[in-house]
Amino acid sequence: MINLIYKISAIISFSILSLNISSHHAFTAEFDANAPINITGKVLKVEWINPHAWVHVEVEEKGKKTTWMVEGGTPNTLIRNGINKESIKPGTVIVVRGYQSKGKLCLPRCIANGRDVTFPDGRKVFMGSSGTGAPRDGADPRERR
Amino acid sequence: MNLLRDLLICISLAFLSFNSFSGEEHDHDMHDLMAHLLTPASEKIWESTGFVITEEGEFSLEPTDQEGWDEVIFGAQVIIESSYLLTRPERSLGRQDWIAFSNLLQPIGKRAFEAAENKDAELLFKVGADLYQACVACHNVYMTE
Repeated sequence: MINLIYKISAIISFSILSLNISSHHAFTAEFDANAPINITGKVLKVEWINPHAWVHVEVEEKGKKTTWMVEGGTPNTLIRNGINKESIKPGTVIVVRGYQSKGKLCLPRCIANGRDVTFPDGRKVFMGSSGTGAPRDGADPRERR
Repeated sequence: MNLLRDLLICISLAFLSFNSFSGEEHDHDMHDLMAHLLTPASEKIWESTGFVITEEGEFSLEPTDQEGWDEVIFGAQVIIESSYLLTRPERSLGRQDWIAFSNLLQPIGKRAFEAAENKDAELLFKVGADLYQACVACHNVYMTE
């Protein structure tokens, strides 16, 4: 009986602890997991900086141009995944899947968290960071399923 | 009677673990330390390295004068000292992993300091990536919304 009570108490303690551990993530503070994006456009600018690289993409739809600023992982993470300054240089047409920021006014530009990028040769690469709390959408090959 | 005592001890421990991770005062204190000390110091490192790549070319963000490098030295020193501030008993609450995460900042800050003193932008870029990984490791466990 005592063992049972200890087990129940341990489960309660662990559950309470787990709530605190998993209650936050930076992704949810800034991006909307319910607002997936899938954009195709030309790279205008790359900010190869820590803690996140940013890729500025010009998307043209029905004659209207919109600039998206897409957040990626750290430059080191991108290099490990096969993205470098050469592969994503300005002028390259890419397809980006990700999630839009919570603010959706797109003024002066739209902002998104990038999950994966597809290059003109068809190569699709994860462009985010692991463990940031982004949805488990299959984009990150390291995420536990 | 022993059964009741054991049950009370277990429930008390459960609530103690809950309160030690969710104290409002502790959260405010940590928010202030992060927002007004550690984040600005980290940004001195991150914003002083990397590249902006446009169709016009690639532009380095590294400081161009001693004043710029002094800003990085200041940020590095604050990161080193923040390690001590984070491990104070009222902040660590005796959590060994918290202390271990906080201690990661010392060698990172020292390497950033060294990179700035030697005006070594390449090293500073690597240190910036390590700094972010240290931040994420701790935030994944302890950061709350």
